[in-house]
Amino acid sequence: MRLILRRIVGQLGFDAVEAEDGQAALDLLRSSEEVPDLALIDWNMPRMNGLELVGAIRADSHLRHMTLVMVTTEGEQSQIVRALAAGAHEYVIKPFTAGAMVEKLALLGLVPSGVQA
Amino acid sequence: MTVHLAPTIEDLSEIAEQVWSSYLDPEGEAPLFPVGPPDPDAVVHGDVCASVSISGAWHGHIVVSCSAVAARYAAAALLQMEVGEVMPDDITDALGELANVVGGNVKSTLPSVCTMSLPHVVVGSGVTNGWPLTVPVCELVANWRDELVVLRVLRSKSDLAGTTDQ
Repeated sequence: MRLILRRIVGQLGFDAVEAEDGQAALDLLRSSEEVPDLALIDWNMPRMNGLELVGAIRADSHLRHMTLVMVTTEGEQSQIVRALAAGAHEYVIKPFTAGAMVEKLALLGLVPSGVQA
Repeated sequence: MTVHLAPTIEDLSEIAEQVWSSYLDPEGEAPLFPVGPPDPDAVVHGDVCASVSISGAWHGHIVVSCSAVAARYAAAALLQMEVGEVMPDDITDALGELANVVGGNVKSTLPSVCTMSLPHVVVGSGVTNGWPLTVPVCELVANWRDELVVLRVLRSKSDLAGTTDQ
């Protein structure tokens, strides 16, 4: 899934970095000199799940302004509410098409409307 | 008596179609074809078997199993690479993600609150049923690129005591 996402955002002009789980992502973010514009976060990850990662990013003064998008199979309304309440800006349910992802990023103002991956 | 909803073959077919059209066959060139009623022998054997477990209000497993050839095709499609470039770790990653996506969507048809495990992938010729204390809820046996692919929803036997599925 990381490769699919990387390809989509790469075609939109983003430079992407990957992490294999939530804790690795948090460590990577905290060690980065430059805060990324966007994080695409899976819910179901080892060590630190996506919801915990969203909370950790929101609690970090250095990272808290990042745009966070949950990319997950968790499609239940209650789960979506939990993710948004924790601080995610948007929610993309797998399986998704490249077009659906681009639409979400356009809604967040990260890519111009009408752009295709 | 407690009444629990359960995923149906229609649910499973719809989920599979969405997964295939999104990831494995976005161009519509190699769709997944259901091949009729499940064959009990077919559903317990496969070269690659990926699963996620569900716990909480419902207990069971969602299993994706297929031949080694189909697994290689799936990894190539999902990871956007040539079939000849696929390595064993690619197959593990790809089939695990397939089980994760199928399982997550099946989970959305189950009663709340359930949690889903991380995917578990077993690779080896003739992988057998690793879930002896379960019963099949629904199974989709399909043909993809002339290879067998099976999606199964298994429910824990202990979960069935005192419940009625719909």
